[in-house]
Formats: sequence, C-alpha cells, structure tokens
Amino acid sequence: MINRARTDTPVVSLRGLRKQFLVGGALPWSPKRVVNAVDGVDLELREGEVVALVGQSGSGKTTVSRLILGLERPSSGEIWLDGQRWDSLSEAERRARRLPYQYVPQDAMGALDPQQTALEHVMETLTVLGGCAPADAEAKGMAMLRRLGLAERRDALPREMSGGEQRRVTLARVLALEPRLVVADEPTSGLDPDRRGSVLEDLIGNLPPKAACVLVTHDMSEARDWCHRVVVMLAGRVIEEVDLHAARPAHPYARVLFDPWSGPLPRGELASTGCPFRPDCPDAAGVAGGRCAAELPTLRPRGPEGSGAHRVACHAEGPRQAPSADPAQVGAS
Amino acid sequence: MSALVEMRGLGIRSAHRTLVEDISFDIDAGKVTALVGPSGAGKSLTARATMCVLDVAPGLFAGSLRYPAHDPAIDWFEGVRGGGARAQAALLERSRVLRGAYLTYSPQAASSALNPGRTIGQQLAMAIGRRAQPPADLGEEIRRVLADVGLSPRAAASLPGELSGGMCQRAALAIAVAPKPRLVIADEPETGLDPVLRRAVVELLVEVCQVHGAGLLLISHHEDTVQRLAHAVIRLPGRSGGGER
Ligand code: SF4
Repeated sequence: MINRARTDTPVVSLRGLRKQFLVGGALPWSPKRVVNAVDGVDLELREGEVVALVGQSGSGKTTVSRLILGLERPSSGEIWLDGQRWDSLSEAERRARRLPYQYVPQDAMGALDPQQTALEHVMETLTVLGGCAPADAEAKGMAMLRRLGLAERRDALPREMSGGEQRRVTLARVLALEPRLVVADEPTSGLDPDRRGSVLEDLIGNLPPKAACVLVTHDMSEARDWCHRVVVMLAGRVIEEVDLHAARPAHPYARVLFDPWSGPLPRGELASTGCPFRPDCPDAAGVAGGRCAAELPTLRPRGPEGSGAHRVACHAEGPRQAPSADPAQVGAS
Repeated sequence: MSALVEMRGLGIRSAHRTLVEDISFDIDAGKVTALVGPSGAGKSLTARATMCVLDVAPGLFAGSLRYPAHDPAIDWFEGVRGGGARAQAALLERSRVLRGAYLTYSPQAASSALNPGRTIGQQLAMAIGRRAQPPADLGEEIRRVLADVGLSPRAAASLPGELSGGMCQRAALAIAVAPKPRLVIADEPETGLDPVLRRAVVELLVEVCQVHGAGLLLISHHEDTVQRLAHAVIRLPGRSGGGER
C-alpha cells in the first residue's frame, strides 16, 4: 500500500505534449498515415509522488512515459524536469543530466547481460553511469541487493534467476543510482499475480524519499494499491486524473476500465470528432445539445472546489461541478 | 446427466515436495467451471492432470480420474499411481485418443497453439477431422466455426502471421472448439490483457463453448471473472513455504 509523503515541488511538468508517428500501411506501397499517439497532455508530478499511467494498448501511455525521459522527441509541447526545460536540450546535453531520471523497461531479461551476475549488473551501472570507484560500487551494489532480498543471488546469472529475480535486478540497478524520477513501463508484466505485488513493493518501497515515480500499467489493482494518483489515457489524451483513495473513477471509459463488468463492453471504435469515446459511451445520449458529437471535452476539476485532485474530461460532468454535487450520481444524467 | 470429469483425491509430488494433495472435483457438461487458487497452488498441474498429462516425477501418488460421459468404468489413473515416469508416459500414450477430441486445451497464449506454417483453414480442417462424425460439407463447416468466433470466411486462407493478435486468438479458439469436444480447458486466457480485453476474451470463450455445447474449465486468477461467469468453482488451497518470491 502506498505510504509516501509528497511535497509541492514539481519533478516533472508536461505542457501541451504531442507526439505524432508516421505509420506505414499493411503493404510496403500503402500510403503512410499520421497517428497522434500523444495528443495534448498536461501533467505534473511532485516530489514523493507515485502516479499510475493507465489505458489500453494504443492509448499513448507508453509513449508519454518515453517522452518524459527524452527517449522520444515530442512533436510539440514542453517537458520540464526539476524546473529545467528537457525537450529542447540536445542529446549530448541530456546525457550529462540524465543520471537522476531513470527508466525500468518492460522486458527485464532483454535488459540484462546474459554474462553478468546480479552484482556485476548493479556495479556496472554504479561505475559507468554513477561514476563510483569500483570498491565503492561493490559496497553500494551489495547494499541494494540486500535491500531487495537478492544478497544470496549476487553471483547468479540472468538465466539462473526466476522472472521475479530478474525484475529485481533491473530495479536494483536503477534504485542504486538514487534517482529523482523512475519511469517504470509495466514492470510486472509476465509475472504471476502474487509476485507482482512484491516487485512493486521492492520498487516503490525503495525509492529515495523525494523521488517521483511513473508506473505504466494496465493492471488496475496495481494502480489502485500502489499509486497516489491515477492518470487514465484514451486515444492519446488524459481523460481522467483521480486519487482512488478519495474518489471513484467518473469518466464512462475509466469506469469500464476499472470495472469491466460494470456496463456494456466498449468495442474500441473511436470517433474522429467530438469526444473519441462517443461510439461506445452509454452516457452520450443523456448529454444535451449533441455536445459529445460536436465538442472535444477537456479536463475539468470535479468535486469540491479547489481540491483539484479529481479532473475529468467528459461533457456529462458539466452540470456537476458545484461543490454540492453528489458523487453517487456520477455519469447518470 | 453424467459428469465430464470425476477427479477424486488427486495427489502429485515432485522429488522434493507434495505439489497437490487430496483434490476432488466434478466438471459438469455444458457448464463453466473455474479453477482458482494462489500461484504455486498447482492450478496448471491440476488442469494438466485432468487431461491425463502428468509431467513431474515421481508424480502421481494418489487419486482416480474418470470421464463418466465417455466411459464411467475406466479409472485412467489405474496402475499409474506410484508408477513414476514410465507409467505416466504410458498413460499419456493411452489417453491420446481423448485429447483433441473428448477434451481440448487452449494454452495461456492461445495463439501460440497455432501452427505458423499452415493456413487457419487447414488447421481447422484437421481439428474438424477429429470429430466422431465428419460433417457433410467441410468447407461449409469451416465457415460456420469461423463465424461462431466472429471471423470472416476469408480468415481460412490466411496464415497466422497475416492476422492481428486478436484475430489469432479467435482462430485459436475456433480450433479448440472445432472437434466438438465435450470439454475445453482454458489455461489463464486473461493473462497479460487489460481489463476490457480480458472481459472480451473470456466472454467470447464462454459463449463459443456454450454454442458448441462444450463444458469449460477456466483457470483464472480474476475473482470478478469467476463471480460473473462460473457456474462452479474449484478452489485449490495455497501451499505454505513453497515457491519463490
Ligand atoms: S463526453 Fe459524452 S461521449 Fe464522451 S465520455 Fe462524456 S458523455 Fe460519453
């Protein structure tokens, strides 16, 4: 369960972030088309905060996570890390400043060197990236392995490790650097459900106190249990930001994502004008004036004025912005 | 109506420890039976034992397995209990007639069961060929099975590599039900999917089994799925002290 203090100091600020990809068709000569993988994302992460980025595949969550660290270049918009503009830096300038901002990849086995032991992996990161002296790196590396319960596996090669152990070696490498920000792209994918919790406990429980963390996931229980805030993406946009400890998801799409049996199953058709979720939305008919077809809903605060923690992009939310709004009535109009 | 599977007192051990012990259950025709339990409880092992696949040594030490709807007199584990790897290999051989006909298996990544070098139509023709009674018109039957899983007849001419992931999943399901099995065993079909896809996949699985009159043994670790879809639940107890972290 998440139990970390947050401050008001932002670590990450995304402003109007967009990323377009040119994708080819089925055949080499089919015309290429532009895909808006990320389509205007604003997001802030503060010190100590753990935020889940959730959505189905193709929602843009992985692209956002890669953009934050400069692993992709945005088509437009701004990325700020610790008050410094990040996207306008050259790759060489970024490299010099990259150390505090770390990425945990999805494919742990692919990220590990088959010929290196657990300890060697951590030591290499500490000496090559962290500039540690080898003796220092060994002590620090062992300390981190011990914290992750890998002390006895220090000499194990990746192929001798279980999936969970491989995962924890990739975590040890990142955490040993005492990062400011960790972006983890589905760090538990492919693991048994019971092992997932312990990997997240190892990651989040061992973050430096003021570090921020982005957890990309499609497992809603991970988002609920391990994060302060959940950011739900659909078609390249953020459609809801919610603290699940204080409120339930309100956007019709977010509601299905968190409880797939709660309503009709979306077929995944997206509208190109107005609200993208309209073809699958059970609430669209109740919104007056055909606004869902005409106008793209933007994120607006919901619930008690000023709390600002819960924001939803849905026209059905309009009339319920008054502080007296009844949370039980969400989406029922 | 007689049960499809009658398992009594199943016990399997590895060289080091007991993996499952004293597991008994019935699987009824035309119903969805969920098999649940924490990881390490032996869900896959139990499901494999249900189709006479015993692949640990020394392996089976207790239990009986009958398929009453096939032949209530035969205890398939007769002579296998305590017989070790050789007896288990002989059982695997003896029970070959059942797998792919009386019961079919859909592995975790369903599309991994597809043969990449053969068209979906060729694979379906083979699966249909295992039926006791061959259909009058094979081509027509292939189209019908494809339609049941929501695929167009054109999919028959495609190789698995030419289809999307979702279509491959549907094709694999078509192949699992094509022999008209009495029971389909689906090994965690929800693994790695987001919630919306998860529901779509299991709903399709249940619906297709129902259309074909097959019972379904669904291995799942999602309580919501079990609550919504299962008519009966087999709960395996967790084992303490085993497994890695
Ligand atoms: S804006 Fe309209 S179509 Fe979109 S989610 Fe809200 S009610 Fe549904």
